[in-house]
Amino acid sequence: MLSKSELQELLQLGLETGADFSEIFLEDTYTGNIRVNNGDVIGVGMGNVHGVGVRLLQGIDEVYGYSNDTSYESVKKLMLNLRGSFNGAANKALPLGEKKPYKYTVKIPHGALTPSEKSAKLVELSNLMKSQNEKIVQAGTTLIEWEQKVLIANSKGIYQDDVRTYTRVVMSAVAQDGPLMQDAYEAPGRNMGFEIFDEIDFKQLALEVAESVMTYLYADNMEPQEMPVVLHNGFGGVIFHEAVGHPLETSAVSKGLSPFAGKLGEKVASELVTAYDDGDEEGQWGRSTFDDEGNKTQKNLLIEKGILKGYLSDERNGKRMGYHSTGSGRRQNYKYAPTARMNTTYIDNGTDNWEDIIKDTKYGLFAKKLGGGTVNPATGEFNFAVNEGYMIEDGKITKPVRGAMLIGHGAEVIKLIDRVANNKTYGQGMCGAGSGSIPTDVGQPTIRVSKMLVGGQGGKRNV
Amino acid sequence: MFKSWIELGLKKGFSDVEVYSTRNKSLSIELYEGKVESFTNSDVTTARIKGIYDGKMVAASVENLSTEAVELVFDRLIQNAKAVTVKEPAIIFEGSKSYPHVEENKFDFDTVPVEKKIAYLQALEKEVKKNKLVKQVEVSQYSESFGETTIVNSKGLNLTKRHNFAYALAYAIFEQDGDIKTGYDIKIIKSFDELDPVKEAEATIQEGLRKLGGKSLKTAQYDVVFSSKRFSDMLSVYSGLFSGEAAYRKTTALKDKKGEMIASPNVTIWDNSLHELSPFKNSFDDEGVAANPKKVVDAGRFTGFLHSLRTAALFNEEPTGNAFGGGIAPAGLYLEPGELSFDEVLAPIADGFYVTELVGLHAGVNTTSGDFSLQAGGVAIKDGKLDHAVKMVVLSGNWFNLLNNVERIGSDLQFQTSGYGSPTVYVGKLTVSGEEK
Repeated sequence: MLSKSELQELLQLGLETGADFSEIFLEDTYTGNIRVNNGDVIGVGMGNVHGVGVRLLQGIDEVYGYSNDTSYESVKKLMLNLRGSFNGAANKALPLGEKKPYKYTVKIPHGALTPSEKSAKLVELSNLMKSQNEKIVQAGTTLIEWEQKVLIANSKGIYQDDVRTYTRVVMSAVAQDGPLMQDAYEAPGRNMGFEIFDEIDFKQLALEVAESVMTYLYADNMEPQEMPVVLHNGFGGVIFHEAVGHPLETSAVSKGLSPFAGKLGEKVASELVTAYDDGDEEGQWGRSTFDDEGNKTQKNLLIEKGILKGYLSDERNGKRMGYHSTGSGRRQNYKYAPTARMNTTYIDNGTDNWEDIIKDTKYGLFAKKLGGGTVNPATGEFNFAVNEGYMIEDGKITKPVRGAMLIGHGAEVIKLIDRVANNKTYGQGMCGAGSGSIPTDVGQPTIRVSKMLVGGQGGKRNV
Repeated sequence: MFKSWIELGLKKGFSDVEVYSTRNKSLSIELYEGKVESFTNSDVTTARIKGIYDGKMVAASVENLSTEAVELVFDRLIQNAKAVTVKEPAIIFEGSKSYPHVEENKFDFDTVPVEKKIAYLQALEKEVKKNKLVKQVEVSQYSESFGETTIVNSKGLNLTKRHNFAYALAYAIFEQDGDIKTGYDIKIIKSFDELDPVKEAEATIQEGLRKLGGKSLKTAQYDVVFSSKRFSDMLSVYSGLFSGEAAYRKTTALKDKKGEMIASPNVTIWDNSLHELSPFKNSFDDEGVAANPKKVVDAGRFTGFLHSLRTAALFNEEPTGNAFGGGIAPAGLYLEPGELSFDEVLAPIADGFYVTELVGLHAGVNTTSGDFSLQAGGVAIKDGKLDHAVKMVVLSGNWFNLLNNVERIGSDLQFQTSGYGSPTVYVGKLTVSGEEK
């Protein structure tokens, strides 16, 4: 590992030809996984991600280089190579400051248990799912864990380390009845160690996966139509993440590529919508004490009662548009330069009981669980898949429907939110964008969108 | 270095050890409004260490290549092997009898000065911006990559292959009467001279313009034609159905269907990384098994699964050269072209939908049931001809039904940068969700 004085020397070297900012990002990450299927431990995998990313900026022009050789000589070569892109007077790097303490709240670190000890929990869950119905042909549980250790040093004097510990358990089931086949899954994750098994009732979730797969094995296809859609709490927040969160990142806003560019202080959403992105919410999957530029993460107000209050920004995109960093510079690993990204993004609680929202909906779709989605920030067009959906008829949840897909324009759909419940929870996912794939939480209470286009195959299943 | 790791592993009690390593060097340049906005240089060597311990296969991928780190990796791999409870074939391969010759690309992109690469992007951006409906070019990007892959093992295998390619694109934003669309075109090149800013700009502009002024379709069943690109995407997302691993785990609907008709007799699907149009030709897979061109679906009949060494042993079949990335994947999957021109594929359709855009493939596709529901865009077909642009509809169907309904196949086979290929293809009727009836 490079010493503080070596880092100082290398940062200065980067500024000799006109760059006004230099940064070194060092990373050492351990990864591991255990795969269980139908009660058998079928694989135990591991690896490491280890390397250095070097960034120089002149204004907002960026040069970036990375390598998995972290020796002094290698980083020096990289720095000299990169600074060749600039031609100007030398600048001076500030002396590196002192590291600030990061929060390390892990109770059971990944290394505290052997793979055999960990796999016992997974085998139990797999057997539980499998035993629920003879038509469940596959019951899989996978433990995914990684711990990322980073050190960030830059010419503004930042000298900061951080440790991010991620643990996730994926439970999936496949059911089959003749030609009918269906799958279902749950994949909760936390920024913590193996104590995740004490925090989450996995047995309950395993039963829900088994129930869900059997319900959907026999469900009819969604009839396509425009209708009110009630999006349930937790992962339902992916609608806000895709349709509003991404277009609020200064990566898009700073180039005028977002429908929210230039709209600070304006009404952009229903007045029932107040939304935040929190970088440091305890235990959450998307949390870290410091961002990947070494800035402290924070809670950022995005929308307050429908009024646009803020963007999410890293240093460089902020600079482009005269905006401050919100501690939101993130990257998957040293192979990416950081850019503005979300951490834990959510619509805040309203006042309704979620059951009342269903009761007050004459006809519509209850999207209980959503899958992934995408958005094109330039156009605002988004789509996302409903993994578990039911019809609402006369204020009651009725039959399950499969294959529903919601599409729309983000800027329009957040104006159409007409009910917000008081049952906010979170869902976890991996978010892919300009700086790689990173853990993020989405969250919300149950909400209703007065009208959305719901696509689907229509009618009885053709098998 | 890798030979000493193998010795270290054997000393620690592994019966066989293999190191699969890749060195990747890349350069990427991004321009915004004529100026270099980002310039990225990289050099990374990754190694995947595989070993058999107590009859069980374990593996680790590592980027810290120091001897101390690798020593620790072997110790952890032993712990991991102890946790594995299934007894399945664990094979480290001694090598195929012979390997097909693949002409490696010898062009060295380093010989082209950086200034020339930047000048190309500036020219491309300028050409794209000549079209007055281009609101801005979000980014224009040039990227080149050199890779060298080596497999060395304790059975005496020692194989190396190299690749070298580049691509450039301009990601443009188009606007007409408040309607905003994005468009780009991407082509893999093997030498710098293949880049032509005028031609590339034209392709980008065409891509964007055809999306502008789009309307929704009325919700109904339509005769659907997939563009070559979009059918390649569909082949890609459903390719896992052909995996021997999925067959063994009972997660593919094709299990027990070897030898059965699973598609219309018009459908022949090849897996062939050596096809002359394929952008990445491989003479062997990640386990060192020689490339093996084969029909996966032959005139509608499913011929069998793609195998790694392990699944081949489980099914008592031959490995097919499809072990990639630690799992099983096609080497170059494509739909065999027919003889019809593009116009002839469309000709009999009175009221249909030509699909050129599919969004959300990672979310709207269920590979287990075969169902899909995807945000789509393209062009309406009226009386056998392309009519107006279509935007923001949902295209829904089932992959297995679709394969059975394939009727007319174009002659215009193209491979995508993903390595998958297809011609234009008519797939029968599918549900399109759009405006109210």
